[in-house]
Amino acid sequence: MSESNEPSSQSPSHISTLSAAQVYELNQNLLDLTADVHRPLIANTAPIAELRAEYERGSPSFVQQIDYLESQGYSSLRRTRGDGDCFYRSVAFAYIEKITQASDPAIAAAGALSTLDATPQMLESVGFEKMVFEDFYEVLEELVKSAAKPGFSLNEEMLLQAFQNPETSNSIVVYMRMLTSAQIRLDPDNYAPFLFHPELGEQMEVREFCEHFVDATGREADHVQMTALSRMLRINIDVAYLDGRGSNGQVEFVKFQPDEAAKLSSPICLLYRPGHYDILVGPNR
Amino acid sequence: MASISSRRLAKELMEIKNDGCPVGIDLVKADDFSTWWFTIEVMGESLYPNEKFTLQFRFDQQYPISSPAVQFVVTDGREAPVHPHVYSNGHLIALILSCRYVHPFLGNEWSPVLSVVAVCVTLQSMLASCKEKQRPVDNDRYIKHAPENPKKASFPLNA
Repeated sequence: MSESNEPSSQSPSHISTLSAAQVYELNQNLLDLTADVHRPLIANTAPIAELRAEYERGSPSFVQQIDYLESQGYSSLRRTRGDGDCFYRSVAFAYIEKITQASDPAIAAAGALSTLDATPQMLESVGFEKMVFEDFYEVLEELVKSAAKPGFSLNEEMLLQAFQNPETSNSIVVYMRMLTSAQIRLDPDNYAPFLFHPELGEQMEVREFCEHFVDATGREADHVQMTALSRMLRINIDVAYLDGRGSNGQVEFVKFQPDEAAKLSSPICLLYRPGHYDILVGPNR
Repeated sequence: MASISSRRLAKELMEIKNDGCPVGIDLVKADDFSTWWFTIEVMGESLYPNEKFTLQFRFDQQYPISSPAVQFVVTDGREAPVHPHVYSNGHLIALILSCRYVHPFLGNEWSPVLSVVAVCVTLQSMLASCKEKQRPVDNDRYIKHAPENPKKASFPLNA
């Protein structure tokens, strides 16, 4: 999706004249046609100034918002490939990275594993066959466990390597999608009012929505999916909306806080630009 | 360690051998983890009484994250069903198999949640719900330029 990753030479006000459905369609078409295969699935951190430089010609409102982020201590970002899986990949990476950065990674990993251990059964309870998810679960479990192995520490570089390996990385992405799907299917009353077809705006059944817009590879995540995954993993996710629309060049942060306990921990920060998510490295690092 | 693709296919095959296939679907051959053949028949009343079709699945190393390449076999006297979404060379217009195109009937896309048997069942019901036996409107044009692997074909969005 290099097009929408790259700054547009047009004023961002053009985007703002489109309806949400039009923007979604535009993005999904770009994803389909131009998934940027040359970008690694997930990259090393880069100074946010690099992103700023890309917007300098032509998008003053984006530049202003990037400056705002930097002033708030968000100095770098970790970019992901624009393949429609970027939200799930970003969350998964940041989720495990956070374990490795904890003051006691073994305790953090044990906490994560106690949440994850319960998930295969939840997937089965909503009708996923064990056969279709167990291999993906094992990949995730093994990586989280490796963060807590005595005498061995999963460092950033190894984690990056794992996430740049398509089989490992995509397996974890698939499992993240299944977790998201299961959460929505387990709590249909809560989610049903928010399940709309992103292009047509029509209300959708839970199952239909999950099959089309959660389970299917390469389908972008929106608010519903983000809420569901944050609840399933019991993590805080802050999403900074870099959309050229903020007032006074500020950036709106949308916070996904599943419960009181999660509120206390530092959030995973993502940077959203229309149609794409990257990991934003925040001031608490 | 075996790849996820072969581990998953081994499990699917085991399940088929232990539990059998749904009615009207039979495994013809699965000697390796690259090509499997099934036959499918439509049960009950349909436009395809007494017709039996052979389906071929081809898997790459990314299965089940990437979809299998699925087509009807049209060699040695076998024929593809006459259906608005099946080309005479055996290729299908079906979203479920090509990742991203919206199929009007299947209404679904490929997802690793699906399995080989699930695809067979979907195609069986696609045939069962057929109202008129005809080829896709662009059949002649398509088969002239179609790639050998149907996954490499690009279908128009509104096909």
